Amino acid sequence: MATLGHAVDTAAERRMLLLGVRLFILSEVMLFGAFFTAYFVLRAQAPAWPPLPDLERPELPLVGFNTLLLLSSSVTMQWAVTRIGRGDAAGFKRGLLATLLLGTVFLAIQGYEFASNGFGISDGVFGSTFYTLTSFHGAHVLGGLLLMGVLANRARLGLVTREHHTAVEGVSYYWHFVDVVWVVLFLTVYVL
Amino acid sequence: MTARRDLAVAVAIWAVLSAIGVVVVLGTQILPVIASREAEVVNGAFVMLTVASVPILMLVVVPIAYSAIRFRASDDDETDGPPIHGHRAFEAGWVVVSLVLVIGLAAFGTIGLLEIRGGPDADLEVRAESTQWAWEFAYPDLGVRSKELVLPVDRRVRITIVSDDVLHSFYVPAFGIKQDAVPGRVTYLHVTPTVTGTYGAQCAELCGLGHTKMVAGVAVLELSEFQAWVAEQQPQQP
Amino acid sequence: MDRWRRPGLARGVLGGVAGFAVGALPIVAAAQLGADIKPGHGLALGYIGAQVGWLLGLGALRFWTAWALGRAADPVDQAAAHGRAGDWTRYFRFTTDHKVIGLQYLITSFVLFLTAGLLAMVLRLELAQPGRLMDGDTYNTVMSTHGIVMIVVALIAIVGGLGNYFVPLMIGARDMAFPKVNALSYWLLPPALLLIVANPLLGGFDTGWTAYPPLSQQANLGQQAFILTFITLGVSSIISAVNFLVTVARMRAPGMSLTRMPIFVWALTVTTSIVLVATSVVAAGMTMLLFDRLLGTAFFRPSAGGDPILFQHLFWFYSHPAVYVMAVPAFGAVLEVVPVFARKPLFAYRLAVLSFIGIGVLSFMVWAHHMFVSGMADYFHIPIMITTELISVPTGIVFLSALGTIWLGRIRFATPMLWVFGFLWNFVIGGITGVFLADVPTDLALSDTYFVVAHFHYTIVGGMVYGLFAGTYYWFPKITGRLMDERLGRAHFWWFTLAFNATFLPMFWLGLQGMRRRVADYPADLADVNLWTSVASSTIALSTLVFLVNAIRSWARGPKASANPWRAHTLEWQVASPPPVENFEHLPTVTAGPYEYGVSASGPVIRPGGATGH
Repeated sequence: MATLGHAVDTAAERRMLLLGVRLFILSEVMLFGAFFTAYFVLRAQAPAWPPLPDLERPELPLVGFNTLLLLSSSVTMQWAVTRIGRGDAAGFKRGLLATLLLGTVFLAIQGYEFASNGFGISDGVFGSTFYTLTSFHGAHVLGGLLLMGVLANRARLGLVTREHHTAVEGVSYYWHFVDVVWVVLFLTVYVL
Repeated sequence: MTARRDLAVAVAIWAVLSAIGVVVVLGTQILPVIASREAEVVNGAFVMLTVASVPILMLVVVPIAYSAIRFRASDDDETDGPPIHGHRAFEAGWVVVSLVLVIGLAAFGTIGLLEIRGGPDADLEVRAESTQWAWEFAYPDLGVRSKELVLPVDRRVRITIVSDDVLHSFYVPAFGIKQDAVPGRVTYLHVTPTVTGTYGAQCAELCGLGHTKMVAGVAVLELSEFQAWVAEQQPQQP
Repeated sequence: MDRWRRPGLARGVLGGVAGFAVGALPIVAAAQLGADIKPGHGLALGYIGAQVGWLLGLGALRFWTAWALGRAADPVDQAAAHGRAGDWTRYFRFTTDHKVIGLQYLITSFVLFLTAGLLAMVLRLELAQPGRLMDGDTYNTVMSTHGIVMIVVALIAIVGGLGNYFVPLMIGARDMAFPKVNALSYWLLPPALLLIVANPLLGGFDTGWTAYPPLSQQANLGQQAFILTFITLGVSSIISAVNFLVTVARMRAPGMSLTRMPIFVWALTVTTSIVLVATSVVAAGMTMLLFDRLLGTAFFRPSAGGDPILFQHLFWFYSHPAVYVMAVPAFGAVLEVVPVFARKPLFAYRLAVLSFIGIGVLSFMVWAHHMFVSGMADYFHIPIMITTELISVPTGIVFLSALGTIWLGRIRFATPMLWVFGFLWNFVIGGITGVFLADVPTDLALSDTYFVVAHFHYTIVGGMVYGLFAGTYYWFPKITGRLMDERLGRAHFWWFTLAFNATFLPMFWLGLQGMRRRVADYPADLADVNLWTSVASSTIALSTLVFLVNAIRSWARGPKASANPWRAHTLEWQVASPPPVENFEHLPTVTAGPYEYGVSASGPVIRPGGATGH
């Protein structure tokens, strides 16, 4: 039976777990889809964007840099997956830590950006859509970082091996998804 | 009885019951009160749908009743029935007929909707203002306000509907019309009342504590009576 | 004392209370410091803390936390979590056996059904005569709570109850793909259900189960209980859906191709696919509503650029497919039962499967028919009318399949088959009246009237509940190892059917007369029909008692059931009643379809034993 904690993941169990992760990500796509829909609808119905004259949109350079950080973290994550696939536990740990670091810095920079924005969540539909979208995304980033922390702990204990790293693959799917959502968010909420 | 005979008998029963039902329905007015041009169209749609419903209802009722009697196995009968997995032609026919029916209904529905909506012109403007939990009606061109909706017969009226708090809905059953009142938006509908009399308007979107009581009177008068009413309502010149 | 330290209900309750305090503490502190805090903030954070504490205390998370901490899996604990046969306490704790979870869902659903049914009695008491017995807030809260609790029942009873119990058995598996996730999906529910049933204590909510803003932005704290319950149900449904889909995709026994899969399993596959895709959208909408209430956002606040109609779009984008989540499992149960009691193959099986898939796809394209009078753009009405009318085509195929199976069959009217026939009568009425609502001209008159109330009770009660009863009577011997009393079963069926039709058929007329829904009073000329309806509805409650007595007595001391009292061909009937804890001694290999009645004279055609029986 698909029980966690087997020393060896059978091929069947691995396929089931990864299918489960992909299906879950599908429901998450719909979640963000709904928030994006709200954003597009409310923005289309607004006389101008931002609707209130004293609201200023966030500066792009910092957020653009942050986007590059997150994109890089997907690269490091994928690299980590490849490394453990070849049995290189040390390489995997390095890639995982790099991803963790990049993700943490991303959140820190985002926090700084929130603090220096001249508007809050209760500033009409502009603030509502901006902060709800970015915060939900940030919460998903945080969730990913926590998952990576768990993987790091298990790696430290020698429990992540070439034969046994399905969870790593699953987390990597999730992390890439979070990255894709950010790219869409960046393009439609910050740039557009 | 062979399977052919069973089918023929069932089809015959279906045809007879459907015919009777259709004839009964065609002679019925379904909306209890028809006091506007729009309600006339709505009632026509009701009749058409009910006529279409009868043979469909019979298509289910007749086979299950017939089968319950004819194909009932006795208590000690342990045998299976014939191994019929399907019938390509019948299945295809069923799908095609239901598709055609649906497309037909949608076409009639589209025509009906366009007829109800009509053009943008109107002889009279009224504003239905909804608030928790009462209606008030304003006649902007006539400088009149009223708690009751008073309209002249045989004139096309454009009713704009607004709310200053929560969702409400303006519904006059006798006119066959309904439209929600949405805060932050202006919605509207057109109606041409065709029968004089008194009717009722009701709020048809749950709006809180007083939703049940959020009703208003509607009166349709001859044009001369309406003009007299307007004159009475207008503030007197000093 | 040991009870409080072992994972279990007692420790779960303790954890829940502690978690609530932990969650609410920052809010209380912030309030003391003068921040602009509402009780709603405390309820929201407290509820999240309560869920976490409850699940931790229950032991629902212990395997995952052990895994995360790198501890070796404890095979003794795993086996204990699966549950031993004959140990009745396993129903009252975190147990991973899908049969236990299925029963937990089923019984919880019945308890909720009775609770919401009682609330309906209160409503009908108010509506029995013109005039008022209770104030508007009380009536609205009772009405709204009746609505949402019944919606919950309709969503979880068949899928969570019968589905969890029987899908692994019917596909020849030992359990679902993710048994711990399965148990988690159930144990997320008690705090949420407690919250919604207790919402009157928080001030109730007066917006109906549809919770439209702006009214829901201003409503009492009970509204927030509603939102938190809704979101919890959403999370539970989504993880459950993932479980079902992976199970059906990857755990079918050798030889069970998709075209040999029982129709009930197909129905649940389509249903859980809908759940997976649609639920997040309403969760997002409810979150926006919560944020509007608690964080000052403006999603649905017109004065700040928001749009109340946006909520309706988000709400119905889920809630229309949701009604197919309620109906399709019932279709599946009915089509599963009908071949067994007509002793004929399921007629047009492949077309029926295609029609389920068609319903699933189309269900996402029709939502705005709930909004024809909402003030949404006129041009949207016509395409939605077309798609909504179109969905009656695949729905009609369900009837084709059932009628084609019954026709020329050898029909035995055991109680399950009675419910099938009742379903066919009720659902054709429900379906036809749906067309009146799909057609825009007629919908303009009927929207928000009792015609709608009658329509959805005919489809959900007449459809879903009948499918649930058909499935329950059918599978009761398998679950309990005992037979139900046929006479009481017949009495229940006839009483319920007569009472149900007597109650809801007149409501179509009331709607045509212009009686609005969700009102506590009405004009005097509608008094007779309303009185009749109230009296008839009270007898529905009594008929349900017949079922309860039958179920309890039969379970306790009914005649023992053999493995296959109905001589059915699907896999769950090839094992003992009740099934052994591991379902199958040897996993079967399937060599034919599930409805080969009249084809193979010697009964079911599976060969027990597989290449590497687990």
